Amino acid sequence: MSSRMADARELIRGSARRPLLAVGVLVLLTVPILAPGQSSLATEALIFALFAISVDIVLGYAGLLTLAPAAFFGLGAYSVAKVVVDYGQSFWLGFPVAIVLAIALAVVIGYIPIKQRIGNVYFVLFTLAFGAIVTDFTTVTTSLTGGSNGLGFFSPPEVLGIDLGDGLPYYYFTLLIVAVFGLGIYRLISSDYGDVLNATRQNELRMRYLGYDTNRELMIAWIVSAAVSALAGAVYVGMVGIASPSLVSFGLTGDVIIWIIVGGTGTLLGPFLAAIALVFTQELLQTIWQGGYRLLLGLLFVVFVFVFPDGLIGLIRGDE
Amino acid sequence: MYEVPLITADNFVTYMLNGVSRGMIIFLVASGLTLIFGLIGLINFAHGAMLALGGYGTYVVLQTMDNFWLGLGISVVLVTLLGYVLERKVLYWLYDEPLLGFLGTFGIGLVIEEALAVQFGSRSYTIQSPIPQSTELLGVTYPSYRLFVILVGAVVAAGVGLLLTRTRLGLEIHATANRQPTAEILGVNTTRIYTVTFVLGTALAALAGALTAPITSIYPTIGLDYITMAFLVIIVGGMGSFKGSFVVSMIVGQTIAFGWLVLEPTYVRILVFVAAMVFILYKPRGFFGKPEVHE
Repeated sequence: MSSRMADARELIRGSARRPLLAVGVLVLLTVPILAPGQSSLATEALIFALFAISVDIVLGYAGLLTLAPAAFFGLGAYSVAKVVVDYGQSFWLGFPVAIVLAIALAVVIGYIPIKQRIGNVYFVLFTLAFGAIVTDFTTVTTSLTGGSNGLGFFSPPEVLGIDLGDGLPYYYFTLLIVAVFGLGIYRLISSDYGDVLNATRQNELRMRYLGYDTNRELMIAWIVSAAVSALAGAVYVGMVGIASPSLVSFGLTGDVIIWIIVGGTGTLLGPFLAAIALVFTQELLQTIWQGGYRLLLGLLFVVFVFVFPDGLIGLIRGDE
Repeated sequence: MYEVPLITADNFVTYMLNGVSRGMIIFLVASGLTLIFGLIGLINFAHGAMLALGGYGTYVVLQTMDNFWLGLGISVVLVTLLGYVLERKVLYWLYDEPLLGFLGTFGIGLVIEEALAVQFGSRSYTIQSPIPQSTELLGVTYPSYRLFVILVGAVVAAGVGLLLTRTRLGLEIHATANRQPTAEILGVNTTRIYTVTFVLGTALAALAGALTAPITSIYPTIGLDYITMAFLVIIVGGMGSFKGSFVVSMIVGQTIAFGWLVLEPTYVRILVFVAAMVFILYKPRGFFGKPEVHE
């Protein structure tokens, strides 16, 4: 192991943690000033980062590999778009609608498979079917979702005299949401509940013998994840102004799984940073080699699965 | 509301044959998947990419040498070789870790699909049917090429079916799937059995890709559409059941062929997916699955 690697580890784990955190927060706060004109890209990166950690609750902590995270992200986006575009209601009404619908859908979809303990392999296939249904449903129900045209366009309203439709205010609005819910997830995962989830993933039978209702614990993780994913989708649609089928597509599901694996499953910081880094990388590569980004992303993903299955965070932390 | 059209006898035969030819393609994909899943327990998400490679390989050879059959042969052989290398060099290490196996094959599939997209663009290519004639059958005129696809599917079904039930190799595959350590002790080279099964499954996917190219046209993500359907077919048919994958492929083919008379095709697909979800929950071994499924 190189000494530089060890130094980096020391830096992340040791005394430099707080200063690094402070620098990170400072960067997030000043992105629009540091890189003017990039605020919508930064907004997108933040939203996907929140999406990634919300999915990691299920994938990394509860140990349930789902192939339908985009369904919940898209549900959030479509709820807001539907409320604003078709019903002419307030943008803000869309958010609670999105979250309530996501929770309801999560309960309907997740209750039986989690209660029956169908096992990891079958859970993957179950969510694959669910994701495929949502994708098909979105493109075919033209009157409800606008079909392949999507639902749009609209822009977020003014708040206290600030036009959220502008890129800059919307960045700070997103930052606020991501900060609140990101910290919320962090608190949830560092609480006893996070330990229970970790233990359930590692040995569910033992946890049941210890008296934990593991079905309930997994269900909570599944619902929280779905709700935050939907919220991320809702914030996203405010930025792009249109809900389109690509938001429920399998491509987005693949992306979020890649962000999590590259960042490190079962950590929050890893997927958060990986999502941000990869969104920016995509933008950079777009100008140099169009279409090559996803190929490189695939290669990167394969390398991480086979060589560094613990992700970036695992690399930095090393074997403890 | 959808009007239910009157079905004449001629239409009925045409729809039924459409269903059979579609079902045969699904069967070629699903049978490979079910062999790999039933024996190895691997959710092979790279299967769809193998299908896409089979289709594109055929297209490339057709462009350069102007011979569809040569293209079919070459692409199936090359993809089979690729499957062999993948299994021996990469996937073999992931067999004990179903989730890692899924992620690994998902990544490999993504790389192949994106490489195809970079090379050929994301547009779709149509291939001229190598047998453009039509044949009179049961009182209707039907494209000969589709009849050929039905024939190939039937031959493969019979061939692989006999291989699994009537040969030493088939016995060894069953033994390995049932109790790998016991089979190993009794002298079966289970490592080789894993390789043979994976390679056979991959060859079937490549064949499906090459055969479907003149019917549906090819695009980089063609595999995803097929394997989503194929995964659900093998769930309903019973994981690891070759017979199950055949029967359910035929049912799905007919459902899609006749279903659009009463519903939009996408709704028919959704119905198939819903059925598969119900099966996963209440009858995870499917129609023909064995009482014990290895994970």
